[in-house]
Amino acid sequence: MLLLSLSFITMTLFCLAMEKHRKLIIPLDIPLSVQACLRPLAWAMLIISFYLSIDLYGWSIGPVVFFGMLTGCLLPLILLLTFRPTIIPLLAVFQPVIFYISY
Amino acid sequence: MKGDFRQSMKWLHTWVGLVVGWVLVFMFITGTSGYFKKEITRWMEPERPLASTHLDKGELLAMSQRYLAQHATDAKRWQIQLPNSRDGNLTLKWRKPPKKGERRGKRITKIINTDTGLATENIRATGGGSALYSLHYRLHYMPRIVAYWIVGFCTMLMLIAVITGVIFYKKIFSDFFTYRAKKGLIGWLDIHSVLSVIAIPFHFMITYSGLLFFLATYMALSFNLSLNSDQQGEYYDQVFPNNIVHEKSNVLGRLAPLSDMYIVSKQHWKKDTLTNVTVNFPMDSNSRVKFSRWETDITYNPEDQLVFAGVSGKIIEIPTRKVTVPGQINDGFISLHEGKFATPIVRGLYLFVGLLGAGMVASGLILWTTKRKPKQLKKTKGPDFGYRLVEQLNIGTIVGLPIAIALYFWANRLLPVGMENRAAWEINCLFISWAVLLIYPAFRPAITAWYEQLKISAFVFCFIPLLNFITTDKHLGITLPRSDWNLAGFDLTMLAIGLAFSFAAYKVKKHVIVKALKPNGDTYKTDENLAIAGFSSSTAKKESN
Repeated sequence: MLLLSLSFITMTLFCLAMEKHRKLIIPLDIPLSVQACLRPLAWAMLIISFYLSIDLYGWSIGPVVFFGMLTGCLLPLILLLTFRPTIIPLLAVFQPVIFYISY
Repeated sequence: MKGDFRQSMKWLHTWVGLVVGWVLVFMFITGTSGYFKKEITRWMEPERPLASTHLDKGELLAMSQRYLAQHATDAKRWQIQLPNSRDGNLTLKWRKPPKKGERRGKRITKIINTDTGLATENIRATGGGSALYSLHYRLHYMPRIVAYWIVGFCTMLMLIAVITGVIFYKKIFSDFFTYRAKKGLIGWLDIHSVLSVIAIPFHFMITYSGLLFFLATYMALSFNLSLNSDQQGEYYDQVFPNNIVHEKSNVLGRLAPLSDMYIVSKQHWKKDTLTNVTVNFPMDSNSRVKFSRWETDITYNPEDQLVFAGVSGKIIEIPTRKVTVPGQINDGFISLHEGKFATPIVRGLYLFVGLLGAGMVASGLILWTTKRKPKQLKKTKGPDFGYRLVEQLNIGTIVGLPIAIALYFWANRLLPVGMENRAAWEINCLFISWAVLLIYPAFRPAITAWYEQLKISAFVFCFIPLLNFITTDKHLGITLPRSDWNLAGFDLTMLAIGLAFSFAAYKVKKHVIVKALKPNGDTYKTDENLAIAGFSSSTAKKESN
């Protein structure tokens, strides 16, 4: 239940997926090869988080929680994008770590 | 309708949304409060003791059994609700045997003080969270059936709005993360689409499943015309399977200790998640005891219930209900809608998306006025009546309704405890204040009305914890040190909502000052600042929870 890190892993995924068409906002320059990896990586993360939520909550409640978590992490992410884009990568890396430790 | 397919969808979306928008905001907000029905009720009955979640469930069951054996020997059924994360009190329920001419006996609910083992007396009459929640589908001041039809009509239009919205919104993926804060109309457009798109699974689920609640009412015509009474009976059997009937033997029997059954249930379930115990025919030799744990499935899961033979205390391997496929589907949708299975975190998510829903409809309504504003302001006679009406209803609903709900809580604390029809007057307070706040903006310029009502809402919400401190002994100074998070959470949430409204008011005020300094300023500025303020407030509200 306390595995909120799930939502932040998902959040990481969205940061990655989004860099593709939002790369102006986050870092400076990234090599093309890395850029090309981002989208497949994002999808992989999406699948992993879906699997995790099924694993934690079962087939019945898992998908509900999965969509809920996606929605839940999207709004802060979009707000950060608008107002504090630079801290997103930092958050994305450290939040799962913090949550894992606290768990 | 005009233009191509997308254009006509857009037209439909706009007008369908406008027609029922205010009712939808009302339904979203009251419905969201419904996810915390029990928590709200507990706060509204401050005479109840503090939470006793830390006590051993075996002891609590023994205590309940002693109390019920003393006070409810003639009841057909006992219900015991153990303290849990949603309601920290031990609650016992039963019905008295019906008097002559009554179909069912009077329902008795007792909150047990776990320190003394006695029931808490003189709990104030209140509508509680249930009254607030029932506004969501039952509205108020009108016959039940009319309310269902209005709610159904609005829900149907909401479903249309959701679908047409998806159809005409071309950039659903490319603009997925786009929120441009400082551009007036565009800002509102982005807010509306962001709030809609990120929660689209919820919006669709909640409207669709909402329609299923009163299926037989809405589809009455085809239901009655195409099915004969046998088929209708079969339909009800399939969709709403009955509990399996269990008869008493009319021989007296002695109920085994519930605490022993609790030990067995712990071994059986491996986890200690028991929440409810029901005893059928407690004084009979054929008594049955049903242990229910926190739901683990959105459909009916027979594993969530354990049935014991009351006298021997042994597990009986029978399901308590028939399992049918239509029944499962119906259960699934209803359970998704109500989120009964939700643990605290998931419940928090429901709150979050519920508020997103309210924010989505609200931003859509504001978008309507923002879009028409430049044209309306250029008119020599001033804006049209229709435009002003929409603006007025927007202010009165989006800020006025929360104020009215806060005043409902105020009424709970301030109305005299011994008052007649107290619970009814609580709700009356809600509607009277809402009516005032709906009319009030008609007499003020729009931006001033926004500002003033935001100020009022900030005050009424922030003041709730203080009011609680003055009028009861279950305030933050007590609930926090005793870690009764149920009650403390309510006060803190109210404070957080109040602060969010203060922030919004502050943003609007900043704008008003700017405008006063520069009288020739661009009228668009209004919306720009409002956009930031309104959006931040709804966000802060969600994040605070």
